[in-house]
Amino acid sequence: MGLEQLMPAIASITWQDLVMIAIGLILIYLAIAKNYEPTLLLPIGFGAILVNIPFSSAITQIDPATGQAVEGVLNTFFNAGIVTEIFPLLIFVAIGAMIDFSPLFRNPSLLLFGAAAQFGIFMTMIFASLLGYDLREAASIGIIGAADGPTSIVVASRFAPNLLGPISVAAYSYMALVPIIQPPVIRLLTTKKERLIRMSTAGNYNKKISKKALIAFPITVTIVAGIIAPSSLALIGFLMFGNLIRECGVLNKLSLAAQNELASLVTLLLGITIASTMTSDRFIRVDTLIIIALGLFAFIFDTFGGVIFAKFMNLFRKEGNKINPMIGACGISAFPMSARVIHQMGQKEDPFNYLLMPAISANVGGQIGSVVAGGIILTLVPLLA
Amino acid sequence: MTQAIEKTLEIAGIGIIGVFIFMAIFYLLILALDTFLPYKEEVGAQENSVDVETEDETQN
Repeated sequence: MGLEQLMPAIASITWQDLVMIAIGLILIYLAIAKNYEPTLLLPIGFGAILVNIPFSSAITQIDPATGQAVEGVLNTFFNAGIVTEIFPLLIFVAIGAMIDFSPLFRNPSLLLFGAAAQFGIFMTMIFASLLGYDLREAASIGIIGAADGPTSIVVASRFAPNLLGPISVAAYSYMALVPIIQPPVIRLLTTKKERLIRMSTAGNYNKKISKKALIAFPITVTIVAGIIAPSSLALIGFLMFGNLIRECGVLNKLSLAAQNELASLVTLLLGITIASTMTSDRFIRVDTLIIIALGLFAFIFDTFGGVIFAKFMNLFRKEGNKINPMIGACGISAFPMSARVIHQMGQKEDPFNYLLMPAISANVGGQIGSVVAGGIILTLVPLLA
Repeated sequence: MTQAIEKTLEIAGIGIIGVFIFMAIFYLLILALDTFLPYKEEVGAQENSVDVETEDETQN
């Protein structure tokens, strides 16, 4: 009996499998040692190891005796949770239950940064298209710029399931790298004088918001979004449903369950299930490197869009009422990381400049903006593809 | 310019404008909600919390 019979995995392992196992180890290292999105990167990293050991029963294999496919548990999870979009949509319920929209009510104009900072999505789409990707693939790659994992997964699983692995890894990795990506881009686009601007609307942040308004907001947003773009309703509707559970005041246990148990369980399953797409034959390709590079491009152009839009708004604002252009960069969905980064940048320039509250408002706007952008892409691509 | 790039440009153009339109609508919605449902001292918060417990227990 030879090695092939005794230890088929060792005999069959390829250098590509070894590279993928190394990538899995790197992701686990980043999650544990650097604390980069550990809830996602650790399950993805472990899953990458799990699916790249030859003949792994975690993924579908052909039984040599019968010649029939034996479905692996990760493929079962994938078909049940990702193909059907159940996992990302449940994550939206959890995120909705975590979001407090009251900062937006205190300064609603900052909501517009949630639109401007989606610029990277569309720029990246164009760039991916120029590189030869078809419309569906380009849209899926562009959505990395939503800086919103579940939205990226929903769009990619619908339009380019073959690219889901690298797109998810890029989206979550760059979200973790926001403190490294955004500051140099912001410094490049702003002057020191602009970075020193203090937001004079600080008084608004003590304003109390009616409970009724906070309850009515998710309901009306769902109805309005549904009327304008019904295809976006799964994304926006689940987010707003989670928020309604939070704000209604009579489902506190459900709200806490959505924020904690539901979020934890689905995140765990989501991460390891995404890894089922990270087999060496799918992942070790030039495409993966291109997608990861385009993801970085998307985050840079998101920041660019937000900052430039803030500078544009300042053209129409009086002296003393200007917006610190760094706030524009918070229009991405990476919450609350982006707001924290901008606040720290502001404090570095001027220790008495407190940008946290406006930054949080813009960042909450970004959470809505990313979902809206995802919904728009889900509506437009099938119409034009 | 290929047809795929033309379509991508079209989606990008409509997309970014669409996001702004959506957000502008939500902005107006917030202004409207804030106007029609202004904050008032909300009484009976403790009574509500008793209701919360009752209803949640029922669901379990």
